[in-house]
Amino acid sequence: MKTVSVLDLANLPDADVVALAKQGREPAYRELIRRYERPVFSLVYRMVRDRELAEDLTQDTFIKVLSHIDKYRSEFKFSSWLFKISNNVAIDHLRRRQLDTVSMDGSPHATSLDLTEATSFELPTQDETPLQELEARELGSEIERAIGRLRPEYRSCILLRHVEDKSYEEIAATLDLPLGTVKTYIHRARHELRKLLEHLKEDGVVIPDEPE
Amino acid sequence: MNHRHLLPNEIDLLLDEESGFGVQPLRAHVRGCPDCRARMDSAESVAAALAQIPLIAPRYGMADRVMSQVPIFVPWQVSARDSLVQWIPTGRVARLTAAAFVGVAGTVVSGLTLWIASRGDLVAMATGLAGEGAQVAAADAAGDLIVAVFGPQVVTVVQQLGALGVWLAMGGFAVAALATVFGLKRVAASTRARS
Repeated sequence: MKTVSVLDLANLPDADVVALAKQGREPAYRELIRRYERPVFSLVYRMVRDRELAEDLTQDTFIKVLSHIDKYRSEFKFSSWLFKISNNVAIDHLRRRQLDTVSMDGSPHATSLDLTEATSFELPTQDETPLQELEARELGSEIERAIGRLRPEYRSCILLRHVEDKSYEEIAATLDLPLGTVKTYIHRARHELRKLLEHLKEDGVVIPDEPE
Repeated sequence: MNHRHLLPNEIDLLLDEESGFGVQPLRAHVRGCPDCRARMDSAESVAAALAQIPLIAPRYGMADRVMSQVPIFVPWQVSARDSLVQWIPTGRVARLTAAAFVGVAGTVVSGLTLWIASRGDLVAMATGLAGEGAQVAAADAAGDLIVAVFGPQVVTVVQQLGALGVWLAMGGFAVAALATVFGLKRVAASTRARS
């Protein structure tokens, strides 16, 4: 049997590469990562808006998917399965972050001004780190800022539709949502993006210059 | 002429480039209605901006970081096939030589088999003699093996049980041998996964 070279793998459809991965061929695993690391990272990064965190969550996604590659069923698209898991990983993190959020303005259970002041705190101002500067550059355009203000559910739908060019049916299958819900989310996301972009233009927000 | 402005979901239909009955009148309306044309342009500009946002690459080395934590399982039939494949020569001349050798060996074995089959009486006598000798040798060897593994008491028990005892002893030995083979395979597979 001919050994599969890396060049051969690049020309194979996803289903064939997954079949090779199920046979324990490490180059097939690496080919799947090579094909999808940028789309998955882009989706997760735009969901969580933190580069370092997105790296970890993307890594977790691939580890989960490839560790259970034997459970993949070929009647579904591999990309849909992968995006489903990456979206779930991002949404789970956002939900945990929401639960863990501490108000800077004091405890919501405070019953007096003294208690409110005692439970509030201020963060010291810090200069932007290089990572934050990179994030600001990557996600600093008007459309990126507008995307960042969408609800997570709307955000994943609109990104899968317009960035990954998925059909409504594929998005519904990927996110385990009814087709009507997907159409509603995309419609609302488009509406909110239009409004947000108009506001950003009216406010005269300056877009950071691109580095030379 | 339809003077109703387009509904938001109708704008979405046009934006998604849907085709079918009812879409053409919507397009015609947009062409003739400045308000709806402006709304359509706004929707298209948002869609265009979304389509242009780039894919962002993670830090270099994602594959290495992932693969350091993914166990790779190789099914037994794949590893068996790979073990056989490594014996097949890769060069054209070597393959032809190996094929010729296998062909000659196969022909010799086939001829020998046919010759033996044509000498039925000689075969019966030879196998009878060999069978008796082999029986005695096998019984001695089995007895020695059972004594070595299980001790002399077991041999006594087997002899008392007779044929049943022999079958039980052979069955027990077969089970132990299979368990050893599977255990070695599991060790080999886990070693391969770690490496």
